Amino acid sequence: MNQEQFNDRNVSDDGYLKVDIADYPTTPWGRFKRVVDRTFKLELFVGLWVVLREMIKFDIHTVKYPEEKMPIGPRYRAVHEMKRLWESDTERCIGCGLCEKICISNCIKMDTKIDENSRKEVSEYTINLGRCIFCGYCAEVCPELAIVHGGEYENASDQREHFVDFAQMLTPIDTMKEGKQLEFEGFGAITPHEDERVKKTPLAY
Amino acid sequence: MIKFFIDSKEVTAKKGESILEVARREDIYIPTMCYLPKATAIASCRMCSIEVQGQEGFVLSCNTPPVEGINVITNSDSLYHERQNIMKLYNVNHPLQCGVCDKSGECDLQNKTLEFDVGEQDFAVRDQARKKKKWGIHTYDPALCILCEKCATVCNETVGNEALFIKPGGYKSHIEIDLSNCIQCGECISVCPVGAMASTDFKYTSNAWELDKVPSSCAHCSSACSLNYESKDGTIMRVTNESDFSSLCGAGRFGFDFENRVLNKDENAFNEAIESFKRAQNVVFSSFITNEEAYILNELKKKLGFNLVNEDARLFGEFMKNFSTTASESLYNATIDDLKISDFIISIGCSIESDNPMIKFAASQAVKNKKAWVASIAPVVEHDISNVVSQYINNEVGSEEAALAMITDTFIEDKASQQTFFDSLDLGYLSGESNISEEELDLLKTKFARKLNPILVIGEDVINHPRAKNIALLAGYLQKSELFKVIIVPPSTNTLGVSLICDLDKPQDGFSVGYNAPADFTLSAKGSGDLDMPALNQQEGTFVNIDKDLVVLNAAIKHHGYELNDIANALGVESENIIDYTSKLGFKTIEFDDLDNYYDNVGNAYRGYKIESKKNRKKATLDEVEELAEYNGSVVYARNPLRQFSSFTKDCKQLDAKLELVGSEQFALASKIKSGDHVKFSVDNVEFSRVFKLDKHMKGTVAYNPTFDMDLKSSGYRYNQVKLEVINE
Repeated sequence: MNQEQFNDRNVSDDGYLKVDIADYPTTPWGRFKRVVDRTFKLELFVGLWVVLREMIKFDIHTVKYPEEKMPIGPRYRAVHEMKRLWESDTERCIGCGLCEKICISNCIKMDTKIDENSRKEVSEYTINLGRCIFCGYCAEVCPELAIVHGGEYENASDQREHFVDFAQMLTPIDTMKEGKQLEFEGFGAITPHEDERVKKTPLAY
Repeated sequence: MIKFFIDSKEVTAKKGESILEVARREDIYIPTMCYLPKATAIASCRMCSIEVQGQEGFVLSCNTPPVEGINVITNSDSLYHERQNIMKLYNVNHPLQCGVCDKSGECDLQNKTLEFDVGEQDFAVRDQARKKKKWGIHTYDPALCILCEKCATVCNETVGNEALFIKPGGYKSHIEIDLSNCIQCGECISVCPVGAMASTDFKYTSNAWELDKVPSSCAHCSSACSLNYESKDGTIMRVTNESDFSSLCGAGRFGFDFENRVLNKDENAFNEAIESFKRAQNVVFSSFITNEEAYILNELKKKLGFNLVNEDARLFGEFMKNFSTTASESLYNATIDDLKISDFIISIGCSIESDNPMIKFAASQAVKNKKAWVASIAPVVEHDISNVVSQYINNEVGSEEAALAMITDTFIEDKASQQTFFDSLDLGYLSGESNISEEELDLLKTKFARKLNPILVIGEDVINHPRAKNIALLAGYLQKSELFKVIIVPPSTNTLGVSLICDLDKPQDGFSVGYNAPADFTLSAKGSGDLDMPALNQQEGTFVNIDKDLVVLNAAIKHHGYELNDIANALGVESENIIDYTSKLGFKTIEFDDLDNYYDNVGNAYRGYKIESKKNRKKATLDEVEELAEYNGSVVYARNPLRQFSSFTKDCKQLDAKLELVGSEQFALASKIKSGDHVKFSVDNVEFSRVFKLDKHMKGTVAYNPTFDMDLKSSGYRYNQVKLEVINE
């Protein structure tokens, strides 16, 4: 497809199936005729029959939310999750502060300190979901794949403070121990051919 | 002048300038890793290599002076390749921890690695386990260290401590420390291009890009060094400086948390303050004050007619007045920068080590770079700076006048103008009384030969000396004789500024209002008085520092309470902002917002403006040297330990200093006390209670008495004979 075709936004010309719909009546006499047709030609029962037929079939397509939920794509960007390391079950977050820096709605706030092993430790981490626009920059910039977007899209709550705490975002340790932590497959995730792309440092030993 | 070309652009070099310096001056970029403009070239990184047309091989631009007519090529394919390889070598086994490293975002290694596009590594060596080390206020991570040697250079040359050194061992080389020499100034942290030297307190608390930089001036001593307060969410996290060109002492770098946190305006206290001002007989204030505030106080004095009291500045002002009658100009003529390139320094009445750290830093640079002869005339021997001081001349306590008279007599050749004074000198008597021998002066005289930039440093001891007047006349006479440049160390941060702006009085009996000084009603920036005032890192204003520069102070933290300008407005001295007074101080009519505060590419400081010295046509004759008071028994010397200056530095969490009376064994014997004793004594009617600590290196019967816990330090003579009382429980 060349560029000209791509830019041609006049979609109505071809390639579309045109439904044979009569034009809207423009005269009062035409509108009167439409009312009479709809009332007396039993068109109403056509629709009712469709509903009845589908009901009797018991093959219902409606998702009974909130009992049922649609599966969402792995790249869906909803409430953030904090992942743990597979090797040690500890947090992946190293406290580099890049998510805080890149956040365009300024909703991430973190504090770090030196811990007893003289490593950097995240002492405070919150995301204000009331401000978050779910752009995904934080997940994209994270060098450790620690902060990712999850599938939790139900943000309704009676408390503003809900869903913003580090502990709540972090994969529960039980889930981790069971090996059920799900990796994010969206932007920034490791691709299947990652090994081939990595350039190795020469080692003298 | 040497004419040559850099990238075909014609440039000229001054004598002693290196190619790199010329290039920087001409805005031509040559990458460097280890180059530190304020010190001698280290030449360890080889990044600054350049080519000279027609010559084979590379030349290091940082330590090579140009030759007439050469054409220097700063960039070529082979140079790029060379520099890229250097960066690759620096990156061998450098931990890939930029995510957690404090330096990330302001790291030279990071920048140059990206600049030279080092995406992959051709070199490798077996990595080794390297332990992090904690050295008090700084931590050292040898794994991150690139061995540029900047830290060791500043420690040895700029600061003159010789604490840091390189432990050689090929790939195992690392930095080691002799902690007993370390004064915890943090210069090494500031120059480290990577995250190897880091502040223990700051470590891992925030990233470089999160901090708001506020360029300001240090509020602790009269050097008022340039610094940047770096704050995050209303808290100062650290202090940085233009480490390429300027230095900071430990108090400046780590004593930043002296702000006065006030939540709201205390109206009752404010009204009380206004009433107090109206009925005040005296308004006492300390010299930890901006020029603008001092100006306001002076205006209030004109309006309300109280006595404006600041003994420290009054004595200094008087000293300068006397000084100017013989010097024929109102100010002394040397600066700290002059001291750095001086080759002969005599200090009198100054604790070089602790009064003003920049004096010591500068003297150290003079010794290292100019082979300067540094003579310290003081009753105490400061053994910690024995690598800076070449000659200790130990005078008797109180005999500073005699000492300076003997110096004058030794150096002045043409004695005609003050013949009566020189005739009246009884050198034998003076020598006997001051305990300065002729041999010592002869040595001084011998060392003086062929020196080009001799400087006389006048310290606080003589400014508030009983015989200050004649000392000032002598110092002025020495400046006038052009034998010496003279620098007088103002005792507190803005003593010089206050003495120039305010019309000060002697204190009288009656109700007094104090500003950072104890009084009946106290305005305090310490939070301990009746009305809270902003501390010096919370307000805008200016200082006049030891270099006679009017330097800019900016607010790093908001103050939510009242400030002096509010009080002045309520009392009828009206102005919207306190900085409106900057142009009215009586120096130059430049608005506060037009004052510069930066360093240029080559390191020239553009900080405010220089206060011009005025001509003084008065003529004065030198007084006869008076008979000397005797100081026997236990003498204490009001001298703060390093990194402590005032009650503002006292509570800074990174500046720990004990309130100890430090003395020699001789002092302990004479006073019949031993190390660890609680002693009580009084100086100028102020009672001190201190723990005595024996210092084996000290000599003589003078002990150091810290005064940084006092709200307003005494402005009497700093040596005092005391009676010690042991009060052990």
